[in-house]
Amino acid sequence: MTRLTYILGAAWQGFWRNPVMSMASTFTVALMLLLFAFFLIADRGLQSAVSLLESKVELVGYLSDDAAVSEILDLKARIERDPAVSSVTYVSKDDALARLRELSEQRADLGPVEDIGVNPLPASLEVKLRSAQESRRVAEEMRAEVGSGVVTDVVDNPQVVDKLLTITRVLSFGGFAVLGMMLLVALFVIVNTIRIAVHARRDEIEIMKLVGATNWFVRWPFILEGMLVGAFGAAVALAALMAASGPVTNALIGFLDILPVSLGPNFIGQLAAGVLGFALLVGAGGATISVRTHLAK
Amino acid sequence: MGKGNDLISLEDVSKRYPNGTYALRDIDLHIEAGEFVFAVGSSGAGKSTLNRLLIREELSTNGRVVVDGQDVGRMTPGKVPHLRRKVGIVFQDFKLLQTKTVYENVAFALVVTGHGHRVIREETERALALVGLTPRRRHFPRELSGGEQQRTAIARALVMRPKILVADEPTGNLDPVTTWEIIKLLVRVNEMGTTVLIATHNAEIVNALRRRVIHLDHGRIIRDEREGLYAA
Ligand SMILES: Nc1ncnc2c1ncn2[C@@H]1O[C@H](COP(=O)(O)OP(=O)(O)OP(=O)(O)O)[C@@H](O)[C@H]1O
Ligand SMILES: [Mg+2]
Repeated sequence: MTRLTYILGAAWQGFWRNPVMSMASTFTVALMLLLFAFFLIADRGLQSAVSLLESKVELVGYLSDDAAVSEILDLKARIERDPAVSSVTYVSKDDALARLRELSEQRADLGPVEDIGVNPLPASLEVKLRSAQESRRVAEEMRAEVGSGVVTDVVDNPQVVDKLLTITRVLSFGGFAVLGMMLLVALFVIVNTIRIAVHARRDEIEIMKLVGATNWFVRWPFILEGMLVGAFGAAVALAALMAASGPVTNALIGFLDILPVSLGPNFIGQLAAGVLGFALLVGAGGATISVRTHLAK
Repeated sequence: MGKGNDLISLEDVSKRYPNGTYALRDIDLHIEAGEFVFAVGSSGAGKSTLNRLLIREELSTNGRVVVDGQDVGRMTPGKVPHLRRKVGIVFQDFKLLQTKTVYENVAFALVVTGHGHRVIREETERALALVGLTPRRRHFPRELSGGEQQRTAIARALVMRPKILVADEPTGNLDPVTTWEIIKLLVRVNEMGTTVLIATHNAEIVNALRRRVIHLDHGRIIRDEREGLYAA
């Protein structure tokens, strides 16, 4: 109890002993955390968008009118066995025509579908995929069937997803690079803040060691001071996020309208926890580096 | 000076500082529990260095330093705090914290070694009473006389109830009356069971007390007498 009081008190005093330095590192940490939060949000948004699109991704294999039912069922079974495929639906010639009629009733501009006696539409297999990354491969495999008498043509439309995946990849790579640099800056500032705090208390530290305080007793106040910088930085960053979230959401609403992306009900809580956890980790890490190098011996 | 129940024993100990100075050479010294020992010798003879070896503030270059059964040079870093709690040191320069009161300076040793509120209060009051500083408890070091600062430093060393009390030049720059008060205090501490080692230049007190005297000269023990005088 007394230990805790001492350690917490020393950490608190340490933070306020040099307020300018502590504030500077708090804001540096806050800036890094904002960046971190931004990447978390963007990553989550893009992920939702990708999975939304993925659920709609279909490959369509058009079938020859001459194909035997057994051949079609055989092909369907083969495609279904692919782990990247979530379902395969057989659309008969009649189904296709019925769909076209339905569509034309909804869309007056297309005009009525006239009965021309024969059904020109081919039967098809509609393939839903589990993951968009695999669409190219599955499409290639289906294309290989063209010419064997069953499949006449394969249509895939994964360009949107491909682009989105590229954005995600670029963003996470660039994000990691930028975040990494910011992290280094934040660490550097914390290490220096704690170094100054250690210097300010060097007499006290010397006596502590000489009267038999353990190394942890000497170190903990500084590590907590680092975590305090992290916690304050997290508070500043989260407050800024809150303040900005309204206008930013409004600005994004157009984008969100096109892609009805939900970040999930618990996302705000997870984001706050992630930011705070990361902040404490960075604060404690920076302080530990500092304390280890400046309290050696 | 038997081997079996030595509280402190140095065997063939030398200390060479990184700059090349030999502060101690081939020291053989055995101190039993309950002894009262003066270490004398001119400035630079190695008295403070000897003290530093006892709490592993410095490591010996050669030989073995054993305190209360533990090899000081070989102990793991984790054991050092426990050694230092057993050996209370009054430093030549006091090492008081200027921003803390007398009470806080004395309590500091207990606080940073993780003691509870009640122990801290009771033991600090006891130590302050022992050195006669209870009325000065709220003063800051700069508001104290030299002798009072000295007694604060002694109280801080005693508050941990150490087995060994090492006082480095505890009467330097003090008037004769204050000097005697400090010495009487250290004798009382010794009578209560603590082993006391005093490094001093003060011939008068050494000659008056007739206790064991270890005479250092250029890092060597040139004399070790049971009821010695300052000079041979
Ligand atoms: N940290 C150090 N680095 C290098 N040399 C040192 C160091 N401390 C002490 N010395 C040298 O070691 C020798 C012994 O010093 P020490 O302080 O032990 O003497 P002392 O007997 O306590 O002297 P005094 O009576 O003046 O306090 C001296 O020559 C001193 O210059
Ligand atoms: Mg000395």
